[in-house]
Amino acid sequence: MSTNTAKVGIISCSGEALPEGTISRLAARRVLELLRPDRTVTLCLPLFLAGNEGERNFARTHPTITIDGCGKQCAKWGTEKHSGPVSVSLVVPEILKSTNGGCHCSTRALSEDDTEAVWAVAERIAAEVDSVLASTAPAVAENAGSDTGPGHCACSSPLPGGKLTIGSKTVEIPGLPLIFAQFAEKATITNSDQGAALLDLVKIYHPIPAKEQEAYKDALLAEYQKFVGMQAAK
Amino acid sequence: MAQTLKEGDVLVIPCSGIGKVHGLIGREATYMVTDEMASENTATLCLALLVKGDPEAVDAVKSHHCITIDGCAKACAQKNVEISGGRVAKAIQVAEAFRNFRGAKPGTATALTEDGWKITQAIADSITCEAANLRAQESAAL
Repeated sequence: MSTNTAKVGIISCSGEALPEGTISRLAARRVLELLRPDRTVTLCLPLFLAGNEGERNFARTHPTITIDGCGKQCAKWGTEKHSGPVSVSLVVPEILKSTNGGCHCSTRALSEDDTEAVWAVAERIAAEVDSVLASTAPAVAENAGSDTGPGHCACSSPLPGGKLTIGSKTVEIPGLPLIFAQFAEKATITNSDQGAALLDLVKIYHPIPAKEQEAYKDALLAEYQKFVGMQAAK
Repeated sequence: MAQTLKEGDVLVIPCSGIGKVHGLIGREATYMVTDEMASENTATLCLALLVKGDPEAVDAVKSHHCITIDGCAKACAQKNVEISGGRVAKAIQVAEAFRNFRGAKPGTATALTEDGWKITQAIADSITCEAANLRAQESAAL
């Protein structure tokens, strides 16, 4: 494996016949769009298995994390057969430690159980991405932000971020509207606590220096109120 | 892994494309058909399992009519069913359906918009129709 490890390949089984396949797909998308947008790319499993050299080459030269919806572990099997050992292999039922009773295959019918399952799996993938990158830290630092060569999959761009003005600078937070939407779904918090709760949520995805936390809190609250106003207007 | 499959059922197999909205449209059109519009006589199976060569999945595509739905011209679903010895009765390209929805903004690979669901419904209608035709032809041949 080369030292070019700026990005981790996320390969989900996306199994169509069971809800865990949809969970694996949505969790992978969430990591790509929101949790670790600058550190991950995805590869289409069937294309990879069908012999696309670009996809296989990426998996040969970069760390990969596979997410499978069942114990047959097609994603892990395919990656190891065609490209070499995976860095981490995850199996959805093992992460959730429960049955999929309330989960669905279609995104049209997603329930609270689906939403929680997707978050749980996505957060686990993100933690594994950090762990994999930490173990290859020098190469990551050299290559961070660079394109990843011929195996780079261009079809998964990060979500557009939201901008905040903190003092005299403007910062961009990837997927801020999605974070706000998640917050709004779960919001049972009184107005006086909203700023702190928002800050805690955003800190999961975006590093915030301790001395700037108060400024972030105010800016986040102001942006969130705009977001809520726009949602209500729709 | 395949959903419960009976003799005469039609298999609807989308590609597992994860990078573009087209993959999600194909996937959702499949669920519209197999869960709602023709749940009694259609089913789906995991494409990755078929590609892996799982004997049960390979048997399923060999012994049932298959309708494949692909999100891009690489046609992974169609090609993999054919490589496995399956019978592709109809190969659908999601991009073709966009011709009737010029200017539509279908959403992303994660979530569909109202336009995206309309395109999905159109593809699901086409699959349901094709599945009914296949079953009728099979009945007539008996």
